This record gives sequence, C-alpha cells and structure tokens, in this order.
Amino acid sequence: MEIAGIGILSWITFLPVVGMVVVLMLPKEKKDWLRWTALVVAALQVVLGAFLFMRFDRSLAGINTESGMQFLEKFSWIDVRSVSWFGRLHIEYFLGIDGISVVMVLLTALISFIAVISSWNIEKSLKGYFALFLLLDTGMMGVFVSLDFFLFYVFWEVMLLPMYFLIGVWGGPRREYAAIKFFLYTLLGSVLMLLAMIALYFSVNVYIDPAGGLHSLAEAARGMGQGWEKIYTFNMLAMMDPGNFVPGSLLAGVDTSMRYLAYGALFIAFAIKVPIFPFHTWLPDAHVEAPTPISVILAGVLLKMGTYGLLRISFPIFPDAMRHFAWELALLGVISMVYGALVAMAQTDFKKLIAYSSVSHMGIVVLGMSSMNTQGLTGAVFQMFNHGTITAMLFLIVGVIYDRAHTRGLNEFGGLMNQMPRYAGAMTVAFFAALGLPGLSGFISEMFSLLGAFQTFQTLTIIGAVTIVLTAGYMLWVLQRVFLGPLPEKWKDLTDMNGRETFMLATLGIIVIFFGIYPAPILNLMNSSLNTLAALLQHGAPAAMTSGM
Amino acid sequence: MSDHLLNDLSLFAPETAITLTLVAAILADLIFRRTPLVVAALVLAGFVVTGLLLLGQTGVNASIFTGMIAVDSFAVFFKTIVVLAGILVVVFSMESGELNSPGRKLGEYYALLCAAALGMMLMAGASNLLMMYIAIELSSLSSYLLSGYTREAPDSSEASLKYLIYGAVSSGLMLYGISLMYGLSGSLDLRAINRALPQVLSGGGAASFTLLIAGVLALAGFGYKISAVPFHFWTPDVYEGAPITITAFLSVASKAGGFAMMIRFFKVTFIDAGAVALPAGTWATLQGFHWVDLVAILAVLSMTIGNLVAVWQNNLKRLLAYSSIAHAGYMLTGVVVLSNQGLAAIMVYFGVYLFMNLGAFYCVMLIADKTGSEDIDEYKGIGGRSPFLAVALAVFLVSLTGLPPTAGFIGKLYLFAALINSGWTWLAIVAALNSVIALYYYVRVFRNMFLRTEEPSSPGITLSWLQNAALVVLLVPTLLLGLYFTPLVQLAQASVRLFGTP
Amino acid sequence: MITDFGRVLIFLIVGVVFVAGGLIVAWLLRPNRPYPSKLATYECGEVPVGDTRVRFNVRFYVVALIFLIFDVEVVFLFPWAVVYKNLGWFAFIEMLVFLGMLAVGYAYVWRKGDLDWDKPAPKVPRYEKGIGVQETRMTEEEIAV
Repeated sequence: MEIAGIGILSWITFLPVVGMVVVLMLPKEKKDWLRWTALVVAALQVVLGAFLFMRFDRSLAGINTESGMQFLEKFSWIDVRSVSWFGRLHIEYFLGIDGISVVMVLLTALISFIAVISSWNIEKSLKGYFALFLLLDTGMMGVFVSLDFFLFYVFWEVMLLPMYFLIGVWGGPRREYAAIKFFLYTLLGSVLMLLAMIALYFSVNVYIDPAGGLHSLAEAARGMGQGWEKIYTFNMLAMMDPGNFVPGSLLAGVDTSMRYLAYGALFIAFAIKVPIFPFHTWLPDAHVEAPTPISVILAGVLLKMGTYGLLRISFPIFPDAMRHFAWELALLGVISMVYGALVAMAQTDFKKLIAYSSVSHMGIVVLGMSSMNTQGLTGAVFQMFNHGTITAMLFLIVGVIYDRAHTRGLNEFGGLMNQMPRYAGAMTVAFFAALGLPGLSGFISEMFSLLGAFQTFQTLTIIGAVTIVLTAGYMLWVLQRVFLGPLPEKWKDLTDMNGRETFMLATLGIIVIFFGIYPAPILNLMNSSLNTLAALLQHGAPAAMTSGM
Repeated sequence: MSDHLLNDLSLFAPETAITLTLVAAILADLIFRRTPLVVAALVLAGFVVTGLLLLGQTGVNASIFTGMIAVDSFAVFFKTIVVLAGILVVVFSMESGELNSPGRKLGEYYALLCAAALGMMLMAGASNLLMMYIAIELSSLSSYLLSGYTREAPDSSEASLKYLIYGAVSSGLMLYGISLMYGLSGSLDLRAINRALPQVLSGGGAASFTLLIAGVLALAGFGYKISAVPFHFWTPDVYEGAPITITAFLSVASKAGGFAMMIRFFKVTFIDAGAVALPAGTWATLQGFHWVDLVAILAVLSMTIGNLVAVWQNNLKRLLAYSSIAHAGYMLTGVVVLSNQGLAAIMVYFGVYLFMNLGAFYCVMLIADKTGSEDIDEYKGIGGRSPFLAVALAVFLVSLTGLPPTAGFIGKLYLFAALINSGWTWLAIVAALNSVIALYYYVRVFRNMFLRTEEPSSPGITLSWLQNAALVVLLVPTLLLGLYFTPLVQLAQASVRLFGTP
Repeated sequence: MITDFGRVLIFLIVGVVFVAGGLIVAWLLRPNRPYPSKLATYECGEVPVGDTRVRFNVRFYVVALIFLIFDVEVVFLFPWAVVYKNLGWFAFIEMLVFLGMLAVGYAYVWRKGDLDWDKPAPKVPRYEKGIGVQETRMTEEEIAV
C-alpha cells in the first residue's frame, strides 16, 4: 500500500511535517494561507484514515505477530555493526497497525481535523502555532503506528515540546505553570519508560538475517539460515515473545521482581499520561489553561496515548506482571472513576469540570482493560474512541461559551436554552453521551467495560458503577445551571453558534449518535485483535502465535 | 636512537603543529600589531591543520617518547574534540563583541588558546604521571590567563584569581598523590605501576591504604579539571567571569582532556591487564581498590548538586556552568562502568556535548553582545524578536536536556544503556530523574524567550552571515545526530582502544 | 653494604655535623661582649640604612625573570655540548628549535617594550579645582524643575 513509493502510514504520519515546512515558509502576514495549509493537511489525514478504514482487514489479529499487522513498513534505520565487545545495534523504522491502533489512528485524524477548524479564530503568532500544532500531530500519529520501541519513544517525546509551547504561549492566565507542570510530569514518566526500554533491549535476543529480517529464537532453533547474527532488539513484537528473552538477563523469566519493576516503570509512564488517580494532578491545570483546540487534542488524543501504551506495550510484554497487578490496576481505575466524578461535581469552573470528568471516564477505560477479557478490552478501546469524540465535543462547547462570555463560571449562567438553541442541542447530545445514555456511543463502551470487569472483579465493578449515577448527577446539574432558570441580564446579547462551530459539533455529534446506534463498524475493526490480546493476557503467549514474527 | 626519536616525532605531528601555530601566532602578533584578524586566521588555519593531522592518525596504537605519551585511537578521539572545540571557539572569538572591544590586544589571547589546546591534547595522551601533571599545568596556566583576559570586567579578574588558587591547591594535592604512587611502585609510568601493583598490594593493609589515598588525591586533580562535585567550587565563578568564548572552551575542551586523562589513569593503572574481559564487557579491577563506588558517589553528587543549584541561577553563564557540572556527573557514570561500552558512551556523549554546549554558549554570547547582559530577564521576548537565534538556543537546550530527536538524547541513551547493561540500575535511575530536574531550569529559558514578552519591545538581534553560518554548523549535527547516529557511534566504538590495555 | 641513598645520607650527616660543629665550637670559645653595631645586620660593611622591606621597582622583577630564562638555557646547553659529537645533526636541529623558541620569547619581550628602561615621568601631584568641595552639579531633571 504505497503512494509515490512511500507507505501510507508514513504519509499519514509525516504529512503534518510537510505541512509544517510549508507553514514555516509562508509569510506570517498571510494568516488565511497558514490556516488553509493546516486544514488541507488535516483533511488529507482524514482521507488517508478513511482509506485505512476501508482497506483494513478485519480478520487479522495483530498484537504480537508481524503477519497480523497491516500496512507494514519496515526499513533499517540505525545499523551499527558489531564490535567484539558490543553487539550490533539495529533499530528499525517499523510501522504497522492492528485493530487497536487503527481505531486510534482514525481518532487522531478526526480530532486533529476538528482541532484545526477550532483554531480558526486564533490570532496570536499564527505561524508558530500551526507549525507546532502540525509537529504535535506527527508525534501523536507516530506513537500509534510505530512498532519499534525506540521509534515509539522518539515520537512520544517529539510531542512533548510542541505541547509545552502550545499551552505556554497560547494558553490562559496561569499558562506558564500549567505548561511546565505538564512537561515535568510527562518527562518524569518518559525517563522511566526509557530505562524500562533499555532494560528490555538488553533482555531480548533475536536473529537477524543478512537481508535485515528478524527471526525469533524459536525459529532459529528450528533451522538457522546463512549469515544469521544474534542481536538485541527494540522490536516490540520480539519483546512480546517470552521465548526471545535471554536466560539470566535482567527481565528474563516470569513473575520476577525485576519484571515487576520494569512493568511499574512503564506503568507510571503511561499512567501519568492517562492520567490514573495519583498521577492526574497535571491534567486539570493543563486543560484549564490550554486554548480550546489544544484542550480538544489533549483530551481527545493525548490521554489515549497512555492507555494505548498500556495495551500495546505493557500488557503484551509483561502479561505475567499484568495478571499479578490486575486487581491493583482495577482498583486505581475505580478510584479514578469515583474520585474524578466527585471532584467534578464540586467544580464551578466549566472547563475544570470537564477535565475531571475526563479523569473519571479514563478510569472506566482502565477498569475495562484490567478485566483481561474480550468484553472488557472492547469496552476499553471503544471507550477510548468515544471519550475522544465526546470530550472533544465538551471542550468545544466550553470554548464556544468562553469565546462569547469570557468566563467559565457555571454559576454565572442560566436560561441560555432560548438564547442559544443550537448550542443547547449540541450540548445536550454531548452531555447525555458523556453520562452514558443508551442510544449514544458512550453507553455502549461503558456497558462493555463494566460487563467485562464484572466477570473479573465483582465488588470493584459494583463500586465503580456508582460513578454512572454521579456522572449523571453532575452532568445534569451543569445543564440545569447553564440552560434553565432565568437568563441573567448581562447575557442578553449572546449569539448562538456560528457555522464553523456548528459544523464541528455536528460532525462529532453525528459520529456519537451513529456509533451509539450502530457500533459495529468500529467494533469489527478491533474484535479479532482484542480476542488475541485477551487470550494472551489470560494464558500467556501460545508458542504457535509467535512464530510468524 | 635518533631514528627512533624521529619516528616518535612523526606521531607527535598534531601537537607539533599546534605548537608551531602557537609560535607563529606570537610572531604574527608582533608583526601585525593592529589587526588581530591576521592572528585569528592563522590560529584557525593551525587548528585545521592539526585536525587534518589527527585524521591521519586513525588506528595508530603506539607509545612515544619512552612511554611518556600514548598515541592511540582513544587519545586521538579526545584530541579531535579539543581541536574541533578550538576551531569553533576561534570563530566565536572573531565574532565576540566582548573581546573585540577597541583597544584590546588579542594576539596573546589566540596564542594562549593554542597553548591551552596543546595542554589538553597532551592530557588526552599522557601516560606517565609526570607528563600528566605537566599537561594539566600547561592547560591550567593558559586557562588562568585566558579567564582573566577581559581585565576591565571586575568579575573576570576574580575568576582568574579563583581559578588560579583552586587550581594550585588541587594540582598540589594531585602531585602529592603522584608522589605517593611513585613511592609505592617505584615508577611514574602507568603501565609500570600497573605491573607493580600486585606486589604493592601484597604488602598488606598499610600499602593498600596508601594506594587508596594516592588514588583519591589523584582523583582530586581530575575532579578539578572536569569540575565534578566536590571539586567544582571554582566553576560557577570562573564560567561567569571569564569571556564567554573561554567559558565555552573550558566547558568542552578542558573537560574532554580531563576525562581522557582520568579514564586512562584509572583504566591503565588499576585494571588487571592480565584478566580476560568479563562477559558483560566489564573489567576486573585489581583486588583491594574499590574506587568504583567512589566515582559513583562523585557522579551522583555532581549530577544532583549541579542540577539543583542550576535551578536557582538567573545568569545564563552561571546556569550553564552548573549544568556543565551536572553533565560531568552524567559522564562520570560512564567512568563508573569503565567497560568498553562505558567508554564508548562517554565518547558518544562528548561527540554531541561538543556541539550542543558550544552552541548554547554561542547563543548566549550573541545575545549578551547585543543586550550587554547574560541575565535571564534579558531573554524575555527574544523568541518574537529574533526567532532563528531563539529557536537555535532552544534546540541546544533541549539537546542538553536529552530529549529526542536531538543528539543529546543519544548521549544519554548510550550512558543509560551502559549503566543498565552492567547492573548499575540505581545509578541509571538517579541519572534519569536528574534529567527531569534539568528540564526545569532549561525550560525557564524557553519560558522567558517564548512565553513572555518584554513590554517596550526592543529591536531584534540581527546576525551577520558568518554568525548565521556558525549557528547552522552547530545546529545541523545537534539535530542530525539525533536522528541518524550511526557514524558517531561507530567512531566512538572504534576509538575505545587504549594503549597498554588488552 | 651501603645503598646509593645510604651514601647520600652519610653525606648529609657529615655536612650537618661539619656546619653545626663549627658553630658550636665557635660559640664555646668566643667571648660574649655585645654592643649595638655588632648586633646590627651585616650589609657588607656598610652602615645599615632603613627597613629591609623596601619596595623595588617592578622592572627588576621582569629583568630577573628574563635573566632566569636565559640563565637556565645554559644549563641545557652545557650537557648538549658535551655529547654533541655523538649525536650529530639531530642534536643540532633540536637545539636550534630550542634556541629558536627562546628567541621568539626574546623578540616578544623586546617588541612589547619590556626591555626599555625609560624613566617614568615623575608624577607631580596636582590640585584640581573642586576637590574637597561638595559636588553641587544638578541633574537635568532638577534643572527642569
């Protein structure tokens, strides 16, 4: 699957970099040119995403087999020949997607597109804004498509700096604080991930043939080809095969304390991003201070990188540690759910409320993941997608009212229902979706998550289910405070949403309603991958599955 | 006899070239008294020729002048770092407004720069304790003078004096260590000491205690050169007071020389030459001398104190001084490993540190030349006024933090990999957490450059084409080596060979 | 069996005994009749004048340094001359390099004017107007007011 000799995943990942170069070359007075460049890039990403969606083979599982991955691109990137005391360093440019990543790629393309439209009314140094925005886009896309840990890490970090500046330069009054807090938290997680990555590197051996193909140790045991060389590797799929771990190396074996430690380091890295309960404090600050489009990106895509990392890296590489800590993981998920909901209920700042509701909703994802069965995982991944669309809507809604009223104080509003009918409609859809009303997409994913989790952790799930009531409570309360009651005098001349805003919210709203009624298109995408992942988590990797690497 | 000597001299060609440059610079200064550009161009050419001669020494593994100096790929690598730093610093100096103020004579400045570089090159190769001492003194004495070169600036003289006093004390300590070492082993040659050590250590507790003392005292000398905690007290004052060009030179070249000498000293002297390399690539140290823990402690202290103190600095030169202390700490973790992998990691780190640190100092110099101050408040709004300069500085600082896709990440990656592979996981964790602290103070610069705007917006900083070109020359490797580091790693891996070790 | 350093030790002991012995014997034999001029510092027979801590002109220091350098040069030249016949051209060139470097230093010192012994013009203390008087010049703002 190539366009002009370059694979489609490379296109979708690096198209924004091309856009960035164009943006940097445009004169900064031509504001509309800058905007349209970004929009064209984002639109092309959506087109490529639609193409992926259509061509994606629903029957292939992926997860830990290369043959199950689709749209593969694999080239040697760094290749340092071995010396007597140090093995050959071989890092691949290795892209591919399976059922989990394809959902995230689609989400990223969609949300980026919406975020570009939402950036239309930004005026301050537009050139820098779009350059950074597009770089961020590449980082996000790259994380979801890379199958080499090193490459994954590079993309993971590439996204940090643009995010810092996007919050720090274009943000609200406390933007400096929020930006540095976000940066420090994420970097703390990243360095732990780096250490875990290096430890994994020195624990996993594979054979490389002269053509650059990798072969698992099991495969080599069956018959070595000519000129095969034993190397360490950053290849994620190789790391998922327990047979590739060098006996006696740092992370070899099952249920060793070193494996738990490495799992813990990776967990912190991803948990900060999700964010899971004790690591969540950067999120409200970042969200409140970020400009609307960046909040949308942050909630819509960046948070998913944490849960995606857990699903793509932590779980398949450390299934033993995952099983061992599954209850604790579920517990943290439940705490995030309940805590997030309770704190959200106490907020009077509209944006902060949405931010905490994110913590609560991502808790559902974590609970669903920890169940280790297909329902739970399906619920989790689908919830990631739905949270992306629904929360994006919620932040856009906050943006709409903030642009007009220049305040986010919930208690200052009232009676806007008649003043802004279109706005009220969009907001109602989004809020009902967020609280899990049947018929909207949020319901299905929450249902699946809880259903799956109930099979594994009854008590925790029952406690967690309380959140649904709490969520309904604060969401409806917001609707009441904003739309019902008397209209304060000062909001008499608020205008309803303009065409641009309506377009964004309508697009997302249609998606939310459509997948609420008919979720099959998305569920089919990930079904086979998640079955495999569930089997892997429950029984460890069966030997037969890894041979295709 | 003379044939032998001539052969040695041919291997000494780079040092000879730089010495001739030094002499020529002095003479040129006497002839062209009013045009320092002539001297600068001459010195630049001299450095380039030296670099070319170094290229010709690839793969040499010899010992010259009756064991005084080793010419091996390890030394050549560090000499190359020194020479590259020299070339860049000469270019910086030609551009520096601070140095090129009217009425200042710059002839001696360039000549002394050559002398300092010569000392540092000798440090990289010295394989005899006496030679080491002389090399240290040569580079130090030149550095004392250079750091006080802008006499009218009060902190410049202070820097020079502080540097001199600290230098005198630590070289005195080192000399004492050397004399103890000589007393124990009866030789000043590193390999001869190595051979004599088993016999010395068999002498019982007193002998090994003396050896420990001697090692610690020698460490004081090296620690001073690489500005590791607790021998770092001179660093902030000297870095702040000295002309920026010299600060940049000291932070890279002097450190390179110091590290090369330290590694050679410990590795050749204390590693059991007869031992077979252990599986993980670590080496068997001679029994009874566990200085590794000592170096690990130094590394942790340097990183942590350097970074924590840097957080509170408002002067960019001082901030970078503390950051360079922290970087010495990171590199020391490679010395802790001391396997070939550790050495390769240090060299990779130096390869990228050269560009990113000189780049950061260069940006600070360009800004200080316009604003007249290195205070962090002067950086407010620079991102809007001179975007290229600000972005360049941001890239260098990001690289110093160690974030991909910049070269600094590769340096850190290799160090951490060496640490984890040899079982120093806790040290790797400390180093990794330290880079998070480091981010905080580098980001303060970003914040002022991009997030804040100065109220009365002052005019932008316009750069000459030469300044732009110099920035690009520094930027390209900083970014490119982050994305494609194969050549650097190959070079480092090929350069770990030390003369006299298996 | 006496080692090399043992001989040095004996030499040292003999030296110390010789000097100390002379002093001790003189102290035992001589009559003790002190008077002021006898207790004064010996300055080659001259009557001592002033403090020992006089300030020298810094030029003496430069001259002393230059002298030292060229004096030490001879220390290297002498052994070279002794074995010159065995070494041949190589030694000749080597010494030329050495002397060349010294010559560069000499040229440097000369050109920089450190060999000039011009007398500094005596500084006549000048009294300027206004010294001791309160500075009364007003700043521009004050004038404006």
